[in-house]
Formats: sequence, structure tokens, C-alpha cells
Amino acid sequence: MAMTTDRQRIQHLLRRAGFGYSPEELREYLALGVEGTVDRLLNPERVDDSASENAALALREKALQDRQVLLATWHTRLVLTKRPLLEKMTLFWHDHFANSIRKVNAPAFMLQQNETLRAGALGKFRDLLQAITRDPAMMVFLDNRDNVAKAPNENYARELFELFTLGQGVLYTEKDIKESARALTGWRVTAEKPTPDATFNVPTGVVFTPRNFDNGTKTIFGQSGRFGDEDVVRMVTARKECAELIGRKMWQFFAVKNPSADMLRRTTDAYFANDTSIREMLRVILLSPEMYSEEAYRWRISSPVEHVIQTVRTFGLTDRIQRVGRDTQVQGQALFDPPSVAGWDWGEAWINSNTALYRANFVNDVTRRGKPGTTATVDVAALLQANNATRTAEQAVDFALDLVVGGDVDAATRSTLIEHIGGSHYDFAQAARSGQLQGLLYLVLSMPLAQLV
Amino acid sequence: MAFEDDSFLTRPVDRRTFIKRGVAFVGATAFTPPAYLRAVFDEDSRPLSAPSVANFAASKKHVMVVLQLAGGNDGLNTVIPVGDRAYFDARPAIAQNPEASLPLGQGLALNPVMTGMKALYDRGQLGVVLGVGYPNPNRSHFRSMDIWHSASMDEQADTGWVGRLLDATKNEQSSLWRAANIGQSLPLSLESNESFVPSVGSVPEYVLQTDGGPQEGARRTQNFVQLHRAQADNLATQAAYGGQLAFLSRTGLEAYQSTVDLHAAVGAYTTSVTYPTTPLANAFKTAAQLITSNLSTGIVYITTGGFDTHSGQTNVQNGLLANVSNALLAFYDDLQAQGVADQVTTLAWSEFGRRVKENASRGTDHGTAGPMFVVGGGVRSGLHGEQPSMTNLDNGDLKFTTDFRSVYASVIAQRFGIDPKDVLGASYPTLPLYE
Repeated sequence: MAMTTDRQRIQHLLRRAGFGYSPEELREYLALGVEGTVDRLLNPERVDDSASENAALALREKALQDRQVLLATWHTRLVLTKRPLLEKMTLFWHDHFANSIRKVNAPAFMLQQNETLRAGALGKFRDLLQAITRDPAMMVFLDNRDNVAKAPNENYARELFELFTLGQGVLYTEKDIKESARALTGWRVTAEKPTPDATFNVPTGVVFTPRNFDNGTKTIFGQSGRFGDEDVVRMVTARKECAELIGRKMWQFFAVKNPSADMLRRTTDAYFANDTSIREMLRVILLSPEMYSEEAYRWRISSPVEHVIQTVRTFGLTDRIQRVGRDTQVQGQALFDPPSVAGWDWGEAWINSNTALYRANFVNDVTRRGKPGTTATVDVAALLQANNATRTAEQAVDFALDLVVGGDVDAATRSTLIEHIGGSHYDFAQAARSGQLQGLLYLVLSMPLAQLV
Repeated sequence: MAFEDDSFLTRPVDRRTFIKRGVAFVGATAFTPPAYLRAVFDEDSRPLSAPSVANFAASKKHVMVVLQLAGGNDGLNTVIPVGDRAYFDARPAIAQNPEASLPLGQGLALNPVMTGMKALYDRGQLGVVLGVGYPNPNRSHFRSMDIWHSASMDEQADTGWVGRLLDATKNEQSSLWRAANIGQSLPLSLESNESFVPSVGSVPEYVLQTDGGPQEGARRTQNFVQLHRAQADNLATQAAYGGQLAFLSRTGLEAYQSTVDLHAAVGAYTTSVTYPTTPLANAFKTAAQLITSNLSTGIVYITTGGFDTHSGQTNVQNGLLANVSNALLAFYDDLQAQGVADQVTTLAWSEFGRRVKENASRGTDHGTAGPMFVVGGGVRSGLHGEQPSMTNLDNGDLKFTTDFRSVYASVIAQRFGIDPKDVLGASYPTLPLYE
């Protein structure tokens, strides 16, 4: 579908650069227009996010030692934040610099990495890469803490080039990897118990140990010097191929599946003109005509985290935060536990018969008739009342369709839904009592279209 | 993040790609029932017209059940060297009572709680492979499990030995239910390049849940199917949304139909055997339902955990071993009554055994070699391989005497009739596990 109205463009933008919208959020962003919305999304520091921040901070101490609380901390931010693009980019970087708690085995380390990714999510890519190179969890996950002059470990150097910056076999040689590994030597993680009787460690720093550093001359990409880790980061982020790899991934995540050479050139230009700024690359993408083209529209299957968080946010299901971990895990995506350093497989890989059932059964669970006064499930009758959409079956159906799928359905689907709540015999009170209104939302949220962002 | 290059509609029908993500399509345009609904074939591609346990018995087809004991089962308190003083010296607090242990011969005895497996042993349906492990053992649960799952020392290995066995034995008529995982997530053992394996938590749970009471719930299910079918049938839809809407519609529809199919197929199952009420016994009952149904299920994978007994081992491990033993006995009683016990082999493994010496917490720490069990009619009952020495140790751990890949190779060659090298990538000496 070509997006012809600002309403359609903003709904699309919020699905991609955020996690959907509640009716209230949509009204707010509509008032800003497309450019105003992009501007607000790109400048999260201008938006007060204290409610989300405080809720996450309240969990922080426990999250340092408890994996479930660690998950709940991020889920809390994802659900409550008023800075949706910042969280979306934190997720993007978690997938890019994909470390798993299975190997790191320390919630405190994963929490610190999550905070590092968030702090650098929209900043300069060079700074983010430098920070992640000395990130304690990363140093454990890719073994750079074991990389010493006497016995170099190439694990980080290899993934740095292959996955994080240049792409497999692009530009570099085995010798570049070996020489870079030498330049990355000398760093170790220090950690200590936060209190004397604690049973776990938190990272206290990353320390340079001169005797473990290989101070000899290295030759990387044809340049020679007594390079250290900052030199490697500087040299690799100065490559056009690095800007292209990051740019391509962003175009795919936010806009289209196959970005053209011209589109890649535009993000590469923004990268170099703005000192490797991620924010300026994003600005190019989010304001591009391609972002709102037919090709960009709903071609991407939402990941389990996107699907669950979007559903929870759309309906304000804040009592459900503690269950998000289980909901996303059974659908195939657990945060802090990507399957490998290459991140998750996106696209069709999210869906098989098992995960399809779990997605539908998740929707069934959130559209169950819940206890009054709780927000673990949606009260559809109350939602329709609050939005003046109770009068006719058409009105109720169109409200639900607009909220969930931007109204983009064929006549047959719409008429199946209208019939579900009574058709020409529709009566609001009766449809509420019989469970048909809850059923309407079940059907809309479990529709194939609702699995696409 | 990695996306496939082409949309699914512009790609030629490629069984490998489709099946990898759990769906088999016959054609891209018209909706036809999924392969597993249309027909189920025997090994010679003959359709099984009236599917039943009788057909399974007549087919003489071999089925393998893999049972994973996750956490590192203490082999020395499972198959106990009651004739060896060194055992009692190493374990003053947790040695099992030799009088109560169930003798197997050669100075070895089963843990006293394993009466079910002793009955199978006495019936000629239990083989014990002694001292199973691999060179340079890894004491990390995850790493060692990966080694056993993949049957490979390669850290990058992304397929399992069972998955590769499925790939090597599949044909175009293979049922999508030819293998099943009883559990929530697929173990690496079942990962393959070409074969779909459904995970079933339990048969009653493998359903599309629709709330709202009998009438409203049924209408929701009906309209769920209606909305998916409308999109799957709609050509305009298929061309739009990068083909993803059609893909989602078909998968949703097939998922639903596979639940119906499963419940219809296992509905005919009845048993005269009373299974214990443990989750593990329930999983074996599910296995029996699948194996004897018209789904042609040939491989079932079951995982049970809790064996990481660093402290207070005896009560914990005895409870777990009793569960395993009782579940296996019920399973084989059931299969025996249905006349198919000879066709079903169960292979039980754990990622490592535990240290010879007990620790200060009446438990044991991560070790190396341990026994494997091969259960079923046709199995050469008795002890296979050689019990490792209790005194000639490697840093306090048993030295393995049989490579686990030899056990895999024996089952592959003797039950599936293919060259184990096609699955394991190398040749390993085989053991005479079957009559």
C-alpha cells in the first residue's frame, strides 16, 4: 500500500522507529506531523522520560544479580518509555553487538552493556564501537580479556571486522586480523562484590595492563604503527565499507529490504559529514521518500519482542510487564540471549508452526476477560467507550482496525469482523456481555497483517 | 540481524528453505492441504490407507527415542561398581547400599530405585554401555552438551546428529511429523538443514487457544481460520507485502491444521498401561501416542533435567532415576502390549558423569565418562564396553572407554541401515547393540 496521508505515514513511522502507538500517543504525534515526529524521535534528550527511568532504576540493584529482574528492567523501559526510537536503537545494537548472558553469566555485566548501548545508541558510531570494545560483557563474550601479548586471542578482532564493521571477507586479510588482535591486547576487566557479603560481582572497570600489551609495530590496512585499540577503532570506522554495512542494516531495519546503491550513498555521506553520527544517518532514512514508499510498507515480520511490546504499549497493559519475558521467549526471542554473536535471524525465521501458535495464544491471553481494575488484559468494551466507538458494529470494527493495522484490510475481512460482533443485529451491551467484543480484538491482533511492521 | 535475500514468492519452490522454517508448500498459488494431511507413506512410499498401530507393526519400521538426562548424571551412583572397594573409599557419605543395589553382573549393579529398568534388563530389553565419553572432555554443561548434540568438536556446528540423520533418511513423502520434540524448544540434536521438527509441549497443549466459552470460542477459531484462509487464497495479497502476508497466512493455517491433525491422529490411542503421573512419564506417553498414530513419527526427543547434583545428591538423584526407570518401564509395557516394542529403541545420555570423589556437600562435581542406556526389544541385553578403572584416573575423573559417537554409529547402522559416516562425518567402531 502506498502511504498517501500523514496519518498512514506516522502510523508506519511509529511501528518502525518505535513500538506502535496507543490512541493517545497517536493523537500527540499526529499533531506534530511527520517531520515533527521524526525530530522528536531523534532527540530523546528533549523528552522527559522520568517515569520509565525511575521504574527501571528501582529494579536496578536486584537486576545486578538476578537474570529475571535484568529482563524486567529492560522490559519496563520498553513498555513505559516516551523515547521509543532510543529503545528501538538499543534493541538494534543489542542484535548487532549480540552478546548472550549464557556465556557472560553475570547479569551485572549485561546490565552495564545495555546501559552502554543505550547511552551511545544515537551518538557517534566510532564512540559506540570504542565503548563496546572495552565493555566488560563483550570482553568476556569474545574473550578479549584473555587477549595478551604472549598469547593473542583473535576472537574479538575477527568479529569486529566480520560482523561489527566491514562484513565477511570485505577488505581485510587474515594478517589484518592477527595484527589487530595484537593491537587489542592489554585490557582486562576488574570486578568486585558490591557489598562485603554479596555472592556476585559487578564490573568496576576495564584496566590497561602495560605488561600484557603488545607494544610492537603492527600493520593494519597497509598502515604501520605501534597501534592500540583506539587506533583499530579509528581506522576501521574510517572505512567506507563500515558506513555501508551499518547503513544497509539500518535501511533494512527501518525502511526497505533491498536498499539501492544511491540510498547507501546517502547514509554514507551523512556518516562522514557528521563525524560518524548514527543520528544523522537515521535522519536521512526517516525523512527519505523511500521510507514511505510502497516497497517499505509492512514487508517485515515483527520480531517477538516487537510484537509483544507493541501489543502491550498499544493497550497500556502495564500489569503484564513481568510476563513479557515468557511471552517473548516462547515466541523465539529472549533479550540478553541471542542465539549467536551474529544476532537473531530476522524475517521468516521468526515463524514456524510452533511460534505461530504461540503468537496466536499470546493474543488470546491478552484478550481474555480480565479482572476489573487490572491491566494485564484488554477491556475492549471500555476501550471502545473511551474512544466513542460503541454505536455501530462498523464503528467498533473500524476503530480496532485503525488502531492495530492502520485500517488496511480488504472488504471481506472487515465484513467477517462486523459479523463476528453481530452485524446488523449489533448491540453494544450484548456484544460486550457475550464476549464478542473481546473476540473482535482477538481476531484483529491475530490476523496475519498484524504480524507485520 | 540477517534477512533472506528474496521474498518467498519470487523464489522457486525449494523444499529445503521452506522446511527449515517449519512449513512445506506444494505450490505457491493455490491452497492445498499440507503434505502431512494428504498422505502418510511407509518406507517404500506405499500409502498407509488405514493408519493404525497395526500398520506400524506391519511396516517393521524402526523408531528411535532419545532421552537426554540434562545436568550431568552421576554414572557411578547409577550403574554402581559394588564389587570395587575404591568406590566406597571415594564416597563415604553417598555410596549406595550394595545389598539393596540391583545386580547386573561383572561387579556392577543398578541403583536400588531402578527396579523398572532392572525388570527391562531381566526381560532382555536393556543394554548398558559402560564408560561412554570423548577425548579431552569439557566440563562445561553447555559445551559438553553441544558436543554430544552435534557429535562434533567444532564450536560452530549448527546441526545435530539426529537432524542430520533425518536429512539423510528423508524422502519427498516424508510426514512433517516424522520427528517430534517433546518440549518447548528444539535441542541442537534436532537442528538440521532440511527437516522440520515440531516441538510439542504436551499433546493437550498443542492447540490454538480461543477463550470466550464454548460458543464464542468456537466462533473465534472459525473466524481465525477464515481470516487466514482468505489471505492465503488471495492472489493480490500474495503479491503485496513482499510476500510475507501470504507466508504468514499459510503458516498460521498449517499450524492450526497440524493441531487438528495431531489430535485426530492420537485420538485413537488407548492403552492398558497406567503411566506414572510424572511429567517425564507423560512425555513418554506422548511419544507412544505419536509413534503408534498415523503420523509416521520415527524419532522422538525427550529432555529431562535436574541431574546437576553438587550437594545433597542422594535424595535428588534417586528421585530422578526412579522417574526415568518407572517411565521407561511403563513405556515399554505399553509398546509390548501393542506389539511394537521390538521396533522402538530408546537411547539415554547425559553430557558428562561426575567426579569419582564426593565433595564436602554430599554431592559430586562435574566429571567425565558415564553409562549410556539402550532400551528396547531387539536390543542385545547386558553390558557393553568396559567399566573404567576407579583408580587409574585422569585428574580425579574416569577415563572413557567408549566414544559416544560409536554408540550413535551403532544405532544408525544397525537400526536405520545407512552409513554412519553420512551422519557423523567420520567412521567410528560399532558395538553389537542389537540381536
